[in-house]
Amino acid sequence: MNIPNIPEETTYASAILDCMNFAMSSNPSSVLMGQGIGDHKGIFGTTTGLAEKFGSNRVIESPIAEEMMTGFGLGTSLNGLYPIMTHIRADFSFVAMNQIVNLYAKYRYMFGGQFHPSGMIRMIVGRSWGQGAQHAQSPQSIFSHIPGIKVIMPFSAEAVLENYLYEINRADRLVISLEHRNLYDINFKVDRKKLDFENPARSRVELLGSDITIVATSIMVLEALRAATFLLERYGISAEVIDMTSTSHPDTDLIFSSVSKTGKLLVADTSWLQYGVGSEISRIICERDPSVLKAPIKVAGMENTPCPTGKTLEDMFYPSVRTLVQSALSICGEQSNDLPDGESYRDYYRKFKGPF
Amino acid sequence: MKSREELLIHAAFIRQVEERIVEIYPTDLIQSPLHLSIGQESLAVGVCAHLSKQDQVFTTYRSHAYYLAKGGNVPAFFAELMGRSTGCCKGKGGSMHLADSEVNFMGTSAIVASTLPHAVGAAYANKLKGNDNLVVCVFGDGAADAGIYHESINFASLMKLPLVFVVEDNDLAVHSRKSERQAFELEIHAKSYGLSTHSLENTQDPKVVSDFMNSIYADVKSTQRPAWVRLRAFRYREHVGTGEDFDVGYRSRDEFAEWSAKDPLIGLEISEAEQARINSEIQSAIDFGISSPFPTLEDLYLDVI
Repeated sequence: MNIPNIPEETTYASAILDCMNFAMSSNPSSVLMGQGIGDHKGIFGTTTGLAEKFGSNRVIESPIAEEMMTGFGLGTSLNGLYPIMTHIRADFSFVAMNQIVNLYAKYRYMFGGQFHPSGMIRMIVGRSWGQGAQHAQSPQSIFSHIPGIKVIMPFSAEAVLENYLYEINRADRLVISLEHRNLYDINFKVDRKKLDFENPARSRVELLGSDITIVATSIMVLEALRAATFLLERYGISAEVIDMTSTSHPDTDLIFSSVSKTGKLLVADTSWLQYGVGSEISRIICERDPSVLKAPIKVAGMENTPCPTGKTLEDMFYPSVRTLVQSALSICGEQSNDLPDGESYRDYYRKFKGPF
Repeated sequence: MKSREELLIHAAFIRQVEERIVEIYPTDLIQSPLHLSIGQESLAVGVCAHLSKQDQVFTTYRSHAYYLAKGGNVPAFFAELMGRSTGCCKGKGGSMHLADSEVNFMGTSAIVASTLPHAVGAAYANKLKGNDNLVVCVFGDGAADAGIYHESINFASLMKLPLVFVVEDNDLAVHSRKSERQAFELEIHAKSYGLSTHSLENTQDPKVVSDFMNSIYADVKSTQRPAWVRLRAFRYREHVGTGEDFDVGYRSRDEFAEWSAKDPLIGLEISEAEQARINSEIQSAIDFGISSPFPTLEDLYLDVI
């Protein structure tokens, strides 16, 4: 596979920029589009300088017309282009729902495979600093429900590099990638030898453990890893942490075998619980063999309300490392008299000072 | 270039195809909603007459006439309506989702106005690649109710794309008149987006439509700017289904009588030999559909992603 030079250490945002740069330089048919794609902020640094480098006919500043631009992208791909579209907030993709769900996801199937529409739609999920009801939604369940879309949620720079470079080289299907805004400025080490470009969107074990399985998405993988450290240090509980990577195409064998081993399951997701990722993993386990479970499943995610803007309410709305530890202890039948600080999320990601 | 006689025969062929569909529909060989083009064949034949095979056409769920006018495979058309694996979409599309990539008949949609941005994107790709292909997007006046119609025309004009928008204006969105839906006048409004606009009232004759479209295509190719075209249309059958509906209240038989009096396909003289050829082509396509296999469970899962 054709891959660019990969740094040993990079921020999440910088890894995305490397991938966008690679898409444009390795394939003259790639085009980028989105609102603000070519401005001085460059989608939080993920497209900076590309309009100058590749020209405004390949880095297309979009009108505020998400549905049309999505259909436009589909149209360009029918004639051989590879469109990469960015929604600076995932919430804006709901304006394009008709084109994504009724057209893009079905164009290959309903015409009997005559067309292979391709493209990547990047959606940025906001959190904290007052993002509120329309800047903080995380729509993985909604899109994973629809056949014809690959939905990925890379949680690290490595996951970005593996998945984006793979899809850019492949360029034959619709991929929706949910990028968490709070991951953007985090620095990641990249083990270049470990990168897997053959089958990147598989779920993977990020931490081996034996007492409980935590299946997580996006930034909740980092939270799960922090919870696992706390559980081991304070309670001697060994948690196995699995990054789902793809919510539409999870590795069900990997998840099932881990739960079979530990007998206990906690799901840590970035979105709402009802009809969500936790529900789907529960279905997978229960359809295959519910007797592997030694305790009831728990799912951590957003409370069943719109996202409030003010910080006090927002802290109650999101799950924290404290919630994860508390849920894990409950599953394991332990008293939770020693818990991490519930507000530590803000400290941990304190580099993020907004405004957007 | 095709003569008027050839265009009329092509339009008559399409009408006879659909009249056979009306005949066989009660047998349940075709198990899906149908939106017949009867009465509008001349528009499809006229729009496609001067397009090359490489030129691309996007249309709506009322697409039988355009599929056939663009040169779509006829046996695969009937097989598709019958849900067979030999259909143009392997039995997964049916009447509302016809496509034939061999002749660049690029896809149809059951969601009003949803193919406009595809045409804009396709034209953008053509321009970027520097080929000379034309893109035509056909839709009804109901599409102009939708925001994406305006978004698409705006962007096509802004980007200066070689593309032709064709509005088939029958004054109806299913059963409601433009006056109930639109506070603007279609052509005046379209012109405000800065593209050339054209309007034709009497579209019954395919030669008249094809001449009209030919000069627009030449203009679009030389200026590399989009055009907007309004073609008056009249569907003879109900919105969906094979019956007539002049007695349900939203339109009158008088309107039909006035329009169809100018329809050259009614009473068109076709030579015996030509009619025999048409009969044979249609019958063999129907037979092909009937004798074709149905898709399998394996096919159900094919081409999802």
